[in-house]
Amino acid sequence: MAAWGGVSRLWRRGCQGLGTFPVNYSSRDMPKQYRFLLNKDLLWVQFSGFHTDLHHHKDNSLISISDEPDTLYRKLSVLVKGHDKTVLDSYEYFAVLAAKELGISIEKIHEPPRKIERFTLLKSIHIFKKHRVQYEMRTHYRCLELKHLTGSTADVYLEYIQRNLPEGVAMEIKKTKLEKLPEHIQKPIWDKLPSVEETATGALETGH
Amino acid sequence: MAAPLWRRGLTAAPWTRGSFSWLLSCSRAIQTTAVCHKNRAARVRVGKGDKPVTYEQAHPPHYIAHRKGWLSLHTSNLDGEGGAAERTVEDVFIRKFIYGTFHGCLANEIVLKRRANVLVVCAVFLQRLPPYKFYFLVGYTETLLSFLYKCPVRLEVQTVPEKVIYKYL
Repeated sequence: MAAWGGVSRLWRRGCQGLGTFPVNYSSRDMPKQYRFLLNKDLLWVQFSGFHTDLHHHKDNSLISISDEPDTLYRKLSVLVKGHDKTVLDSYEYFAVLAAKELGISIEKIHEPPRKIERFTLLKSIHIFKKHRVQYEMRTHYRCLELKHLTGSTADVYLEYIQRNLPEGVAMEIKKTKLEKLPEHIQKPIWDKLPSVEETATGALETGH
Repeated sequence: MAAPLWRRGLTAAPWTRGSFSWLLSCSRAIQTTAVCHKNRAARVRVGKGDKPVTYEQAHPPHYIAHRKGWLSLHTSNLDGEGGAAERTVEDVFIRKFIYGTFHGCLANEIVLKRRANVLVVCAVFLQRLPPYKFYFLVGYTETLLSFLYKCPVRLEVQTVPEKVIYKYL
């Protein structure tokens, strides 16, 4: 199942940079949120005394540092559509789990009403106009809205989500809303230009 | 030929004189033949009880989202998506191609899955050929289809000793 492969990949990616060991916890000691990982994956624990090769970290080309400020997103809306509602349910569980692991705050998860496209065709190839066949195509939706994201977090999350889309049945549309800070409207105009108003009023008086 | 109809009452003919001909022309017609009354699509008709039928064949199409799944999974039939005709033509070609390449070895219908660029063909075969022949045919199918459709094609194969029979009709 895509969710399991995704979660174990997430664990492995997170553990590559740190010095971690797999540890088998007994079911009583393991905290509740990790219990579902028992059968499928080992729990990775960070050991502080582990020495890693420092050169390996410096050559890591996946992490890039730049001086430009990261873009900010007030809201990231992920709409998934599919023919099968159960597949969308499981994908929503997976996406919510991934968002919680990355620390992204979820605004709301809602299910827009389904759309059914129906059409009627003739049943027979030649005549028999009174006998028809009706077909329909049902599209179910699921909308996941996340708030207050940075550009890099959004990129990572969306790439992870999109690589694990189930086959064909669910399709994704992303709507992002950007928060920009334009400089020219940071301060009100009427504070800056008092002289323009005086000359305008003076012109009006002299005109008449 | 039009279906034979019994007509009660007077038939409406354009040459009937009088303005009240339209009152007399209300006729009730009954279709007496059983043509097109029953649906025959994707249904195996009940027989003597000696016809073995798989789970896929035993269920008619109105069970599709309830007891059956879909055989071809792609996004072009969703609301607001395009390319349905192209995907359908590709599907039909791939089914015929695999039916012919692995002749007599198919245990069940092929399931086609499209994930991003990749086309995954899931097939269940009968163990009628030796394994080295299967491996060769699988590699041949994958390379030929990926050159044909310009996308990576993966064939996921499972073999079964005999066809899995759900019931006898």
